[in-house]
Amino acid sequence: MNTDRVSSLFWLAVGLATLYGSVQLGLGTLREPGSGLFPFLAGVFISLVALIIFLKSFIRWRALPLDLKAHWTGVNWHRSLIICFLILGFILFLEGLGFFVTSFLLLFLIFRYVERLSWGNSIIIPVLTLGLTYLLFNVLLKSTLPKGIFGI
Amino acid sequence: MDFFSNFIAGFAVALQPINLAFCFLGVFIGTLIGVLPGIGPVGTMAILLPVTYGIPPTTAIIMLAGIYYGAQYGGSTTSILVNIPGEAASVITCLDGYQMALKGRAGPALGIAAFGSFIAGTIGVIGLQLMAPPLVSVALRFGPPEYFSLMLLGFVILTYLAQKSMIKALMTAGVGVVLGTIGLDTMTGMPRFTFNIPELLDGVGLAPLAMGLFGISEILLNVEKKIKLELLTTKVRNLFPNLEDWRRSIWAILRGTGSGFFLGILPGGGAVLGSFVSYALEKRVSRHPEEFGKGAIEGVAAPESANNAAAQGAFIPLLTLGIPANVVMAILLGALMIHNITPGPMLVKEHPQLFWGVISSMYLGNIMLLVLNLPLIGLWVQLLRVPYSLLFPLILFICLIGAYVINNSAVDVAIMFIFGVLGYFMRKFDYEPAPMVLAYVLTPLLENALRQSLILSDGSFAIFMSRPISAGCLIIAAALLFSSLLPMIRKKRETLVAEAEKDD
Repeated sequence: MNTDRVSSLFWLAVGLATLYGSVQLGLGTLREPGSGLFPFLAGVFISLVALIIFLKSFIRWRALPLDLKAHWTGVNWHRSLIICFLILGFILFLEGLGFFVTSFLLLFLIFRYVERLSWGNSIIIPVLTLGLTYLLFNVLLKSTLPKGIFGI
Repeated sequence: MDFFSNFIAGFAVALQPINLAFCFLGVFIGTLIGVLPGIGPVGTMAILLPVTYGIPPTTAIIMLAGIYYGAQYGGSTTSILVNIPGEAASVITCLDGYQMALKGRAGPALGIAAFGSFIAGTIGVIGLQLMAPPLVSVALRFGPPEYFSLMLLGFVILTYLAQKSMIKALMTAGVGVVLGTIGLDTMTGMPRFTFNIPELLDGVGLAPLAMGLFGISEILLNVEKKIKLELLTTKVRNLFPNLEDWRRSIWAILRGTGSGFFLGILPGGGAVLGSFVSYALEKRVSRHPEEFGKGAIEGVAAPESANNAAAQGAFIPLLTLGIPANVVMAILLGALMIHNITPGPMLVKEHPQLFWGVISSMYLGNIMLLVLNLPLIGLWVQLLRVPYSLLFPLILFICLIGAYVINNSAVDVAIMFIFGVLGYFMRKFDYEPAPMVLAYVLTPLLENALRQSLILSDGSFAIFMSRPISAGCLIIAAALLFSSLLPMIRKKRETLVAEAEKDD
């Protein structure tokens, strides 16, 4: 599937959702513009531009926009996918396990299993990084990074 | 006389120890991230934005500005030595810089890049200092309708100059506007698009948004492909260009400074466009254009000067009109707003120490950069040996911690992640993220200007056409939009873009 067609449909959905939301907010009158007026104008604009991109994708150009699949051939897309899941995990566990434990796990997993560094390096580098972070935030800046069940 | 008293007062501010220290920190970090591929000035400034909450606004801006122009210096180093541009604005420097390095002339290439940057940076600051006050006096006469039309014109120029597709740039700008409306409506106190998430009442934060679009998405794109750095093993020596080099470069530097500075003022212009245009210009005026791409020193001198001059020129619209010309300026605008300072024509009057202090700090910053980049070049080269597999987890970690400490909330981390993924797809599909951030930052100003104009005119859009300055801006904007549809001009624009792409 043509990438421009897919992306324009996505933006069209964004535009229509904005239109719906802004009507809910109330457009007011031109004399007394309401909260929804400006987002409404933006929603109209987005939807129109999305339609133009959508229609343009049917016209043959000298160079056709790439097919959707072509963007992910020849690259290690599973690496970025793994990183995404790791960040998601970080967000979910951050407040339960605490900042330092979650960060250590994140860095360790990336170094050991994504970048395949040795066990030693995969442990030493995160420990050093987090040690410096601890000094900077908890000692120097006296800021509070979330503590977890382990009390750190 | 006024000029000189301001000048002296500015130096008095810039020379305060704390400002001097943060200026150095800024240009140091700027050079560092300029050298390191995979992280740019926008991402870095976004990460450091929360850090600046606790320091005085003048100091904060001095540091953030230092990162920006410092990165222009550092970016050239990797372009010349490893053929990988550290910054987008140094892409073109690869062409002749790397060729020079292959011929064993890495030293003079690095040298002319640093000297050219210094000359251009200094002339740029002088230009900024001379041009800002007259513009301010014009801007003081602007009312809401003028501002609204001027910002619209700015958007059109921005998308017109977009590197890739103009229509896609319009698209991301539109989405940025919607993002900018999230949160409490300042006029009615109504929450908009907050989905009942209390953290969203203050709106989507600039830092998580920019870090996601420029930091996280960059990481996601980079881990997919293996970055291999083939480091030049030859020793870099003889940093001083010889007389012949100077003879060939000096006019290139001056021309680059001129074109870079004026393109920097335009919305969306900035350092990247300046470097491309000045390179094309040198090739055209050169008596031996066939040498370009094979190690012509002018091909290094011109774009490196242009990107530095552009970095200074870009400050003009921000400091005088309060309108950021590019994303970096948008982040500076965000930093000022956090300190309750509204940039614009009143800035010079209300905060002269900030205005002149920041400008004066740039002279000092340029001198620091010259010292940092020439004698210490070996240090930066060593830094290139840090493999990306080690670098990106640390950049990711800094982003995560940076997003968290803004409000001590995991919601900001989640917002950053969402925009990281969005940015990843946008870049894959050739949507530039820059117009989105710019539109997001400008939306509150744009919306207020629109509402105030409508209230002023009793609900009639005619107000935008009945005032001459406003009408002028709208007519130019419409003409630009319309001209981009004309086949002839579209072709011209496309070849320009294609040329720029072919070159990189």
